[in-house]
Amino acid sequence: MEGELMEADIVVPWRLSFKKIQAFDKYPKGQSTRRWKHLKQILQAENFHDSSPDLPNYVNIESPPSTQPCKRICDITGYEAPYVDPRTNLRYANAHVFKTLRSLSPDQVHQYLSIRNAAVVLK
Amino acid sequence: MTDDDGDQFNTVGRGSMPFVSRIRRQTDYNTYPSSIPIVIDNGASYFRIGWAGETEPRVVFRNIVHRPRHKATGETVTIVGDMDPAMMKYFDCTRSGPRSPFDSNVVFQFETMEYILDFAFDRLGANGSGIDHPILITECACNPVQSRSKMAELLFETYGVPAVAFGVDAAFSYKYNQLHGICKKDGIVLCPGYNTTHAIPFVDGEPIYKGSCRTNIGGYHVTDYLKQLLSLKYPFHSSRFTWEKAEDLKLEHCYIALDYASEVRLFQEGTKEAEEKTRYWQLPWIPPPTEVPPSEEEIARKAAIREKQGQRLREMAEAKRLSKINEMDSELSSLRFLVKQLDQVEEDDIPTFLSDTGYASRRELESTILKVTQSLRKARGEPKNEPAESEENNDSLNNEKYPLMNVPDDMLTPEQLKDKKRQMFLKTTTEGRLRARQKRNEEELEKERRNQVEEERRRENPEFYLEEMRAQYKEVLERVGQKKLLKTNGSSNGNNKSGGVGRGERLSAAQRERMRLLTTAAFDRGKGEDTFGSRDEDWQLYKLMSKDNDDDDEQADSDEAELARITSRLQEIDPTFVQKVEGESLTSGDVPRVRQLTEEDYKIVIGIERFRCPEILFHPNLIGVDQVGLDEMVGASIRRLPHEETELEKRLTSSILMTGGCSLLPGMKERLECGVRMIRPCGSPIDVVRAMDPVLDAWRGASAFAADLNFLKSAFTKMDYDEKGEDWLRKYQIRYNKL
Repeated sequence: MEGELMEADIVVPWRLSFKKIQAFDKYPKGQSTRRWKHLKQILQAENFHDSSPDLPNYVNIESPPSTQPCKRICDITGYEAPYVDPRTNLRYANAHVFKTLRSLSPDQVHQYLSIRNAAVVLK
Repeated sequence: MTDDDGDQFNTVGRGSMPFVSRIRRQTDYNTYPSSIPIVIDNGASYFRIGWAGETEPRVVFRNIVHRPRHKATGETVTIVGDMDPAMMKYFDCTRSGPRSPFDSNVVFQFETMEYILDFAFDRLGANGSGIDHPILITECACNPVQSRSKMAELLFETYGVPAVAFGVDAAFSYKYNQLHGICKKDGIVLCPGYNTTHAIPFVDGEPIYKGSCRTNIGGYHVTDYLKQLLSLKYPFHSSRFTWEKAEDLKLEHCYIALDYASEVRLFQEGTKEAEEKTRYWQLPWIPPPTEVPPSEEEIARKAAIREKQGQRLREMAEAKRLSKINEMDSELSSLRFLVKQLDQVEEDDIPTFLSDTGYASRRELESTILKVTQSLRKARGEPKNEPAESEENNDSLNNEKYPLMNVPDDMLTPEQLKDKKRQMFLKTTTEGRLRARQKRNEEELEKERRNQVEEERRRENPEFYLEEMRAQYKEVLERVGQKKLLKTNGSSNGNNKSGGVGRGERLSAAQRERMRLLTTAAFDRGKGEDTFGSRDEDWQLYKLMSKDNDDDDEQADSDEAELARITSRLQEIDPTFVQKVEGESLTSGDVPRVRQLTEEDYKIVIGIERFRCPEILFHPNLIGVDQVGLDEMVGASIRRLPHEETELEKRLTSSILMTGGCSLLPGMKERLECGVRMIRPCGSPIDVVRAMDPVLDAWRGASAFAADLNFLKSAFTKMDYDEKGEDWLRKYQIRYNKL
């Protein structure tokens, strides 16, 4: 290893004395981390439907949807946006913004919508 | 900030987040007896580890792992925490990006977790075999038991830890602040974290998880929103907006507006206040070197140099010509001498005489002389005489070349007939070429004349002329557009999933016409007998069909040529003319390339984004997450509580604590107060306080908890874990009140 690297000492050493099983033994090369269950799978496996609704669990404590009216702001500028473009479904604030909106490429339109989670994904 | 060894490391605070934390290995590990617990705050953003009872964690780093390949040796190494950009050159990071053990706020990837713990313990100074101290580690509220058990397993089996305890970071923070009197024993803790935001009510000093609620919006989403907005606003500079840069911008410039609508109105109206609030980021930009118009002397000097060069070239050419003339002269004289000699020699001796010189016969000699004289004359002759000469030559050549032309056919032998045909052919071709050249000249003159007329018209009446041009342009554009539409009418129309059906619609008008002709022709005779082709006229059909196409193309071409001409004309004279590209117009990304890049283009304006991005904490539906924001979470949390006393509710709202990294944003306190007031009955007491140190208080609270003598009662050992099973682990909760 280069001298500078050794000095910086940023790499985790291979063998650590306080470990009972070393990392390279536990995870031999080639086995990737794909075998770890993601959160969704963990929650599915937990089967929270069966447990009583009284006990708090990870899924129980999620927040409810908002009861206040949805705040509509312009996708491009951030102003208050009372209007929606029928062609692209983007929100805009005034005619000036509308002009810019119509000159956007479909790629950018898609990105703006996906920020809001409103993009239509064609499979 | 210093620790026991006097090593400096950055305080984790606003504006000075350690982007790269070079942490020295702690050396006092062995001075701590086995009873002192190690306290870990395992957060999705930062990992903090230290000893119980102290006020500062020893080791702090970003909770991510890189596994690049070392370029020199090719082995895969592990680097934990932020990658030092200076060290990056030693590694090949293309295959792997930074990995975090978290998915939302739950640990799921324990291999990565193991690397992190390795690094953390190593930096803490651990040596010997096994970690011999009990560990208190934080987790998220209502952590799924799978994650919890895997973590316990990791700690027990790989590190040999004697006892483990789990706690919630927000709760520790609240208890710590309660200890210091910032908040009371009944209250609510609001913790906007990295990936999630929690609101947990406390009654009598214990958290009531049943009343807690969690929204999946955190600092990560704010930074991501900022990054995306800036990239879309300045697509030209999108490579500049990296994650780290966006985070820096967020920490430095973002704030929370008291009322979003009124702030936005300030900006919309362009008031002075808005101007003050706008921040500019100037990217480095070097203006292109301006071309200073050359001064008079420069021009004169350059002209003189060019003149001299021209002169030199001319002299050289002249010299060459003269030498060539001389050469040819000498050759001519020697040839003439030879001829004279030949005259004196007898007929029979000619071949032998000439064999020395290399000429075969007298005729050859004479023809060579002729050629040389001609070239000499050409070299000597001046340009003005040349056309005349060449014309003369042409005429004489004509007569010489085509001597047989004028002789009638029947007087010639077959060989001579062949010759005559060849000469006729040559003559017609040369004459044709001449005629073509003349025609071209005439055409050019004609065009010139037309252009001049147009210019005159333009100069007389510019406005009118412009209008005319524009009208013409529109007309031709329409025609071309229509033609295109007709041609590709069907083909652009359909994502026709049905293959065969609907074919008729897809053919253009011309194609349809062709089909019609073919079918009628084939059908013409009827009676099942196909006699197409027996008459000559039938074959005319094909001519008709192909001619149709040709006509179309020709028309289209001429239209397009017209269009091109008008466009170029308009571009010259009309400053406001913008060429309409078919379909879409220029994207905003292209605009800077069309006109001259100025300094303005390199200035990034961050005005509204300053408070638009943190707004998502209060309105997650701006980002598409359909959940309540911070202010409504308080209400939701109170509603969920099993109790129904209004007194309790009043006590809860009068002690709202904000912790977590995101609560460092300025303006959060006022906004929260406003928000909570909106959902509580009029006049109820509301008091929002910020934790003493929103970022580190969780660790400090945990440290204080672990330092308590009765800590071990809350922890569980490996034996407990093995015996009692998963169900018990699910119900395991520590009691936060000091007994």
